[in-house]
Amino acid sequence: MNLNRSFFVPVNSPLHNLNPLTKLALVFSMILPAFLSLPQLAPFLAIPILIAVFIGRVQKQYFNLLLKLVLPTILFMFVMQSLFLPGGETVILNLGIFDVTRESMQSAFYTVSRIFVMISSFAILLLTTHPSELMSDLTRRGLPGQFAYVIISTLQILPQMQAKAQTIIAAQRSRGLDTESSFRKRIGSLVPLVGPLVFGSLVEVEERAIAIEARGFTSKRVKTSLHEIPDPAFDKILRGILVILVIASFTLNLWLS
Amino acid sequence: MNIEITNLRFTYPTGLEALKGINLTINSGEQVAIVGQNGAGKTTLVRHFNGLLKPTSGTIFIGEWETTKFSVAKLASRVGYVFQNPDDQLFSRDVLTEVTFGPRNLGYEKAKIEELVQRALSLTELTDKTDTNPYDLSPTWRKMIALASIIAMDTPIVIFDEPTTGQDAVNVARIANVIAELRNEGKTVITITHDIDFCAENFERVVALSNGQVLLDGPAREVLGQEKVLAQTYVDPPQLTRLGKRLGLKETVTRQEEFLRAIE
Ligand SMILES: Nc1ncnc2c1ncn2[C@@H]1O[C@H](COP(=O)(O)OP(=O)(O)OP(=O)(O)O)[C@@H](O)[C@H]1O
Ligand SMILES: [Mg+2]
Repeated sequence: MNLNRSFFVPVNSPLHNLNPLTKLALVFSMILPAFLSLPQLAPFLAIPILIAVFIGRVQKQYFNLLLKLVLPTILFMFVMQSLFLPGGETVILNLGIFDVTRESMQSAFYTVSRIFVMISSFAILLLTTHPSELMSDLTRRGLPGQFAYVIISTLQILPQMQAKAQTIIAAQRSRGLDTESSFRKRIGSLVPLVGPLVFGSLVEVEERAIAIEARGFTSKRVKTSLHEIPDPAFDKILRGILVILVIASFTLNLWLS
Repeated sequence: MNIEITNLRFTYPTGLEALKGINLTINSGEQVAIVGQNGAGKTTLVRHFNGLLKPTSGTIFIGEWETTKFSVAKLASRVGYVFQNPDDQLFSRDVLTEVTFGPRNLGYEKAKIEELVQRALSLTELTDKTDTNPYDLSPTWRKMIALASIIAMDTPIVIFDEPTTGQDAVNVARIANVIAELRNEGKTVITITHDIDFCAENFERVVALSNGQVLLDGPAREVLGQEKVLAQTYVDPPQLTRLGKRLGLKETVTRQEEFLRAIE
């Protein structure tokens, strides 16, 4: 019943059609400059990110994630950083023992921009790339299978748990638990959920381990792949350009500072 | 308490139209079997009865309640639904807690809850397993726990989604026994099944679904006699019925006694 057990959005777009490694390169060509180049650069990286969201046709899911996950995180960080970052003279706001200065706010702004760039680029990667596609491409390029397995199961834990929680909540409502009304009841109903969730996940892990071993997971032979992932010249050129851009941004940083 | 379904259509978010205009009335106290090929829409249909799914268009009334106007929790006092997969339904530490969960939510008095739980446990022969964790028992027993946890709610309508799948003869007999007991209490029982002998032996009315529509609906003997039409939804009539046809018996027979009487 749970057809979609990852963040992946199955639509057709130029981003979906890029080779997974190219998309990974795009992610790092956002993150590396955001963190290691001039701090002023990070906020501007929001522009290519938004463009990518629309090219990838995942705006609905992306903004949904943004609202539920990214915004709360960065708002929290922004407030904390503005309050607690020491230094700066231009006091904007005084809250008892805390001084909010122009400098601390500015630095907080840069930090959250970086976080935003990082989460957003990974989010777009996950929304436009099927996890198994990403991993089979990387293993084909020499990533150890065990490593790929760890990454892929981590990526799937959240959607899987979500799906499992949904079914259990449906079962509880079918037996008269009113989750739609009181908040206390709703929290209370989550307690019995924890057991089956964890237990179910463990059983699933064990079953999966047996299933993949039965198909020769740890076999030392060179494996062939049924599913060919195209890597056309366009992708290779694009990756080359990205590497140059990242180097350029570092050079710029060294040169200006 | 009647179930009244009018022009029910349902489309999943994926865009797949699983129900394409269903009209059906199920009267209080009827024993109805729903048959049809995999993917015919049987589960989708019964998930509408307790409000887990809401119609894309059309209406369903459970008694005088329209399902869209009531929460699933509220509808649970009228419709008990045993899930197709018990693992989707069980979440408690031990069998007793699991079976008590429903009646407690429905707000019965303590003594009544006790009585309902004991009765459900003895009907499903779980009485000696009350302290066991459902996941330490075999899938067949988990199915019985799922059954018990719904029967204990004492709802006027009970739905079983493929209760006999993967069960041995002893368990199938147990389930038939539960259904007979519910019939004696005057409850409406709706059962989805692929087990056509089970269907012939325990139900008076059969509804055949095909591709989101009602293909046949009527007394078991009439529906199960229509070999050609049933073939459209990949259902074979019981072997006895087919044998009767081959022998040229005038009436359609579905059960052993009928067959013996007819060949005398
Ligand atoms: N959650 C869902 N999302 C999308 N499509 C679904 C979902 N659940 C079921 N379907 C589809 O709806 C159709 C009807 O499914 P349903 O589960 O009602 O069939 P069924 O008659 O119960 O079959 P079975 O005998 O296999 O249990 C199928 O084509 C199925 O793939
Ligand atoms: Mg089904």
